[in-house]
Amino acid sequence: MKNKNYSLIYSNWDETVRRRKVFLSNPVFIKGLALAPLVVAATSVKNGLLLCIAVLFLLTPTRFVTSLITRRMSMPLKTFFYPFVSAIVFAFVYYFMYKYLGTQVLMLGVYLPILIVDPLVVKNFEKTRKEEALYSIINGLRNTAGFAVACLIVSAVREFLAFGTVAGFKILGVGILPMAQYSFGGFLIVGILCAVWAQMVKNYKHKVEVEALHNERFADNDN
Amino acid sequence: MTNIQRKNHDKYMLIATLPLIFCGTVLYGARVLLLCAIAIATAKVVDVVVSMVRHEAFDSTDHSSELSAVVFCLMLPVNVPIYVIVVSVLMAVLVGKHFFGGKDVYPFNLAALAMCCAAVNWSDKVFVAVTPFSKVDLWSGYTTGATVTTAGIVKAGGVPTHTTMDLLLGNHPGSMGSDFVLVIIATALFLLITKKITWHIPVSFLATCTAIALAFPRIYGFPRLESLQLELLNGVVLFTALFMLNEPTTTPHTPKAKIIYGITVGVLGMAFRYVGGFELGSCFALLLVNTLDGVIERFADGTLFEKKAQKPKATKTEKQSQPKEENLKKTYKAQPKGTMDIISEAEDNIDEVLYSTRTISLDEIRRAEAEHNARQKGDK
Repeated sequence: MKNKNYSLIYSNWDETVRRRKVFLSNPVFIKGLALAPLVVAATSVKNGLLLCIAVLFLLTPTRFVTSLITRRMSMPLKTFFYPFVSAIVFAFVYYFMYKYLGTQVLMLGVYLPILIVDPLVVKNFEKTRKEEALYSIINGLRNTAGFAVACLIVSAVREFLAFGTVAGFKILGVGILPMAQYSFGGFLIVGILCAVWAQMVKNYKHKVEVEALHNERFADNDN
Repeated sequence: MTNIQRKNHDKYMLIATLPLIFCGTVLYGARVLLLCAIAIATAKVVDVVVSMVRHEAFDSTDHSSELSAVVFCLMLPVNVPIYVIVVSVLMAVLVGKHFFGGKDVYPFNLAALAMCCAAVNWSDKVFVAVTPFSKVDLWSGYTTGATVTTAGIVKAGGVPTHTTMDLLLGNHPGSMGSDFVLVIIATALFLLITKKITWHIPVSFLATCTAIALAFPRIYGFPRLESLQLELLNGVVLFTALFMLNEPTTTPHTPKAKIIYGITVGVLGMAFRYVGGFELGSCFALLLVNTLDGVIERFADGTLFEKKAQKPKATKTEKQSQPKEENLKKTYKAQPKGTMDIISEAEDNIDEVLYSTRTISLDEIRRAEAEHNARQKGDK
């Protein structure tokens, strides 16, 4: 990245954080959303991919429909309306997933339908500001991308530790930490990954700050 | 317990494990020494790496990790794979100790945590016993003498055929170092006489286990006393009472609290043993009771159910006698601290200052100097 970009990022830091959902404000590692399915169900890359597909077809359409309808709705009504919309959308998603992916969908158990009321999907009802339809799609896709990255990382790490494979490909052949396939192992691994991710974000912020200040001083000297 | 006592405690406990390691080596061969060395090395490496990552000086006087690693190692069978020990010790020391603040503040017993980690992950490798004097390969741990543990036989409803003398001497299929009852009793007496441990926790724990084993014998149609003998002399009951329940960081400090702590671990440990999935109930019970450490201490002090003292309402005469806020403002007006005051204060206490949390730019200092000079002129 060019040094000039750092100054730009530094001057619009809040906006940058809001936009970069994959790294700077990851919905899982930074905001702590959608932890239940990740901790319990994402035990292999296959399961992780199924969760990603479900979120992809659930989150953005829900957000888009609610942004169109709930503009003049009061807060208590919104609270009921968001899960209602997500439940209807989920019915279609589940139907198509079951049709094309078969019984693999059943492997996720209750942690697939639980996405209906997951904060990742319905958290937006808290916002008092009206959301434009276009922005709802863009933000929905950004959130989905952030979730997908986190989900795939967690599921790959858990599969590797529990079974010694990644996406079915044999790497070690033996699980180093079989408890990674259980919920408490999932909690531990997600916790450690959250800490590592937060440190990476902190390091990046520090780098941006230093580069931006350096650029500023350099520009002053030039003048 | 002060820090000096704590350091000595770990050292003495490490020394106390030496007879058990020696007995294990005699019965099961040199692999006992190898596994203990690997456990200690892993614990030490984790401590060093964490101190490097945290940019802290390595505390060479802290032996809690090594002690926990050895205690954990002695509870395992001699044919356990090396990676089981490495991963379990790594998890216990890294997650159980350093993630929770490190030395002297970690909430869970590290040896119990390592044992639970191993039990959950590799129960097929951990709950195996090796017949004494059978050949064990040094590196792979392969042996033909692997069999079911005595505790496992009792749990399955069977009756072990070992004699009382075998049980006392540890001459039966079991773990590396936790079955030598006579050696453990001798070590306990030595530690009690030298006042490195107190009697409260071990005695209350063993008394509870005895009472439960007598009241509810597990072996159907067997004399109660013989059932009690099997319950107490196999597994890791005595070993837990001596080496795991006396860790000063995770146990209460007052005698009354220690007794309650011992009873609670005893009740839960026996409950886990009777109805739990694993033969080793004490470690899971110990981890559970570790979370109640503070509650037990407050219960023993009698402060658990005390309500916070409410301020008594001021009477009219008291209200009148109190000076009003306006008067207070007149009598005392707090002067805000200037930057120069902060700098001069810091210069006075420069030896005591460890870290500076505020950076002051050159312009700010100049401005503060000007303010200071102006104030001095005004005073004159």
